[in-house]
Amino acid sequence: MLWLNLLINGLVWGCALGMVAVSFSLIFATTRFFHVAHAAVYGLGGYVSWSALKHGLPEWAALLVGIVVCGLAGAAIQKLLYERLDRRGATHLVILIASLGLSAVMQNGIAAIYTSNVLQYGLPWGNRTTIIGGALLTNTQMLTVVFGILSYLGAMWFAHRTVLGKRMRAVASNPFLAEITRLQPRQVHIAVMAIGSALVCIPGVLVPLDLGLQPFGGVPILLTATIAVIAGGVGSISGAFVLALVIAVLQNLSLLVMPGEWSIGITFGIFVIFMLFRPRGLFTG
Amino acid sequence: MDFLTTYIVLAEIYVLLGLSTNLLVGIVGIFSVSQAAVFGVGAYLTAFLLMHTALPFPVAVLLAAAFCVGLNILVTLPSLRVSGDYFVVTSFGIQLLATAVFTNWTGGTGGANGLPGVPAPLILGHEFTEPTEFIALTTIGMALGCLCFWLMMRAPFGALLRAIREDELAVAALGKSVLGAKVSAAALAGAFAGSAGGLYATFLSFVDPSSFDLDASIFLLTMVVVGGARTLAGSVLGPFVLLALPQILALIDIPTSIAAAARQLIYGLLLIVFMLFRPQGLLGEKL
Amino acid sequence: MLRISTIALALALAVPASAQTIKLGAVLPLTGPAAVIGMQEQRGIQFAVDEVNAKGGVAGHKIEMLFEDNQAKPDQSVLLFNKLVDLQKVPAVFTGYSGPSLAMAPLAGRKKTLLVNGGAQADALDKASPYLINTIPVLAGELEVLANYLVADAGKKTAAILFENNAAGIAGRDDFLASFEKAGGKVLAQEPVPFGDTNYRPALLKLAATSPDVVFVVITSGTPQLADQVRQIDAKFTVVGSTFFSDPELIANPNAEGFTHTQVLINAPEGMAAAFKAKYGTEFDFFPKQYYNAATVVMTCVEKLLKDGKPVTGENLLAALKEIKTFKGLTTTVFNTNTAATQINMNRINGKQDNLLKVIAPK
Repeated sequence: MLWLNLLINGLVWGCALGMVAVSFSLIFATTRFFHVAHAAVYGLGGYVSWSALKHGLPEWAALLVGIVVCGLAGAAIQKLLYERLDRRGATHLVILIASLGLSAVMQNGIAAIYTSNVLQYGLPWGNRTTIIGGALLTNTQMLTVVFGILSYLGAMWFAHRTVLGKRMRAVASNPFLAEITRLQPRQVHIAVMAIGSALVCIPGVLVPLDLGLQPFGGVPILLTATIAVIAGGVGSISGAFVLALVIAVLQNLSLLVMPGEWSIGITFGIFVIFMLFRPRGLFTG
Repeated sequence: MDFLTTYIVLAEIYVLLGLSTNLLVGIVGIFSVSQAAVFGVGAYLTAFLLMHTALPFPVAVLLAAAFCVGLNILVTLPSLRVSGDYFVVTSFGIQLLATAVFTNWTGGTGGANGLPGVPAPLILGHEFTEPTEFIALTTIGMALGCLCFWLMMRAPFGALLRAIREDELAVAALGKSVLGAKVSAAALAGAFAGSAGGLYATFLSFVDPSSFDLDASIFLLTMVVVGGARTLAGSVLGPFVLLALPQILALIDIPTSIAAAARQLIYGLLLIVFMLFRPQGLLGEKL
Repeated sequence: MLRISTIALALALAVPASAQTIKLGAVLPLTGPAAVIGMQEQRGIQFAVDEVNAKGGVAGHKIEMLFEDNQAKPDQSVLLFNKLVDLQKVPAVFTGYSGPSLAMAPLAGRKKTLLVNGGAQADALDKASPYLINTIPVLAGELEVLANYLVADAGKKTAAILFENNAAGIAGRDDFLASFEKAGGKVLAQEPVPFGDTNYRPALLKLAATSPDVVFVVITSGTPQLADQVRQIDAKFTVVGSTFFSDPELIANPNAEGFTHTQVLINAPEGMAAAFKAKYGTEFDFFPKQYYNAATVVMTCVEKLLKDGKPVTGENLLAALKEIKTFKGLTTTVFNTNTAATQINMNRINGKQDNLLKVIAPK
């Protein structure tokens, strides 16, 4: 039953990837900045929670500390960096380079404080397993699925049912109109950066709880999540989450027919071809 | 002074790459993050030709450059269909695909092991091994690249490219061929990147995928933005400044255990501050 | 400022005018994803050098280490190698990782500078340059021992391979494949994982589906995560590996029970590991030990040259190394060629201890 195991494994990983994709989708759809430092915020959440745990906080409180710190960091990045750049009429290329600079600062700061070694949370309950649908899953993996689904539902509720979420979608769909209709896009940008950054702390903790903490660990996962966001259709939270699941499942199931060294290459190859036929993503009109 | 000459040789190779990136990103407005992939193909192809055929060095580099002309047209073609942010991510997919091929196609690229022992250029019976000799080749390469760029920018063709960036529809409405102009620009950018690859492979005598990954592509963008997009002077200055920067940062005295990370952190800070206060780069036009 | 210069002056006066500081270089990845190993290598060298300097240096000369960060990129490596040799006149440069080492190897020959690799085990390094010295055996020798043990002593006939998709991992895969089939075993499947990725589940699931007797693993970091994931799929196979398994965090992991591996013998005397941990806050792992050993080899050569009254140059260092041939660092290191031969042990992890099964003397 190799295929079933790979499928379940892919779905679990897809939930982790999906959380990163949903958080990035909220930010990217609203601001349209290539916020590559999102990978560093993801790393920050993991390391802050690790420290909180080592200082004796219970697990839930450590996660909460991470979420709050990430949210504040996100708001600060928007207010102090991107907003200033935007006010000066910086192009997306300039914002991208500034964001890269910020990633270098944050990731190397983490490496200087915590070393580059792979750190572990050291929570034995995380590795205990249960049989579900013919596959053995660890508690961490089950938590990932639960949080993944909750994050997706939470983001959908936020975007479609709250006032702030509606303002966010209005700003995303027409920034010029938003400016003149007193929707205060700059405030919306800060709020969205805070929410997206707080959300990315959850996979930022759960993935390293499973696989170990590394200062540069957020980069590969953000790369794949970005592809999910774009291929899903910018602005579509469902698109981002579904595509993350599809990519993770495809990468797992591709092992049935080809050696693993090609699975990443093939995924991106398919993506490039897909973009040629659906240049605006899957979930857009 | 091999240190100084090595620095100049590498910077000159990166100037060619800077011209290639600037032409696409700065002049035409095709936001490509896969120039390192084209650079890599030039490097691997030159290495392969010199190691497995009896072709002389100039022919091998010309063949590699010609191949990269075709390749670069192919990888920038999606920009005709996919626009803006969507193209950036498509281009980024192309880069990751290229890295996967460089890392895993063991028969052609040596895979993750890379290709050691690329022969040094042999021209008219003289072998260019030492950096003090090799500098002649890269200086000629860079000068030719700059000359092409300069002539192109002065010609009506340069004005056409700039017009496409500002308003593609208007150019098309005037009856000019947008497709033709974009393809020509991509071809020239491919030739620059391919020949840079040939020089790089023979100078280091070793190629492996780590020189042509996404980080390398982003480094090229950073060079163009820091030097100054859209200008020749910016493309030349950027590589020299960015390659010197780590050496200058190395002069700051920091305790050994965190020195390297702290210097990278300062590098990041400099980028942020620079983007805040001089987004047009050192010698660029406003973006 | 005044205080610093006073200390500097005091230091300068404390050393006799004739005893100049000897500078040695190192080009290692100290930032970026590869720094996880590069930083460990740096600490190993610095620890050995500090220890020697605390005892008054090598024949009265202090050793100064100059570290440069190449981020594991070949072009930076070449630039930094030239910097160390040109500006600082170092006679020897430490290196790690196969790509950067292969890029610097031709230069080492032209510049007659000793290039010392203490960590990378790709076969191509063996004969890359007369000036490239490997103080660790290439993987081929180690894996021949492992394959022979598995087939002849343990009766394991089938294997699958999980390798890191970089030079070290590919060398391990190729060498194990050759040795295991030569010993009479059969390799059923192989799967790579990207360097730095600690999610081994898909690859493990695929390998487990071929029901091998053993899974040979060659990854340089992330072994504790591997043990957890092997336990999770309730594997029927035995996990076997090379010297990378001698990681204290792996050995302390209850899920690593039964892991069997070869180990290039390298043992720190009592107290040294504790002193290292006290100084850096991390374990005295495999890579710091290997680079401690490499630094000891180089400093032994420097000492011989100083005692013989010869100038400390790369050329003389190489000659001294060939002449001394057998070094007693953390392990007995013998140079019959440019690559060291050392004793290899077969170990098994049981009850959070790494237990010795068998000793294989150097050839």
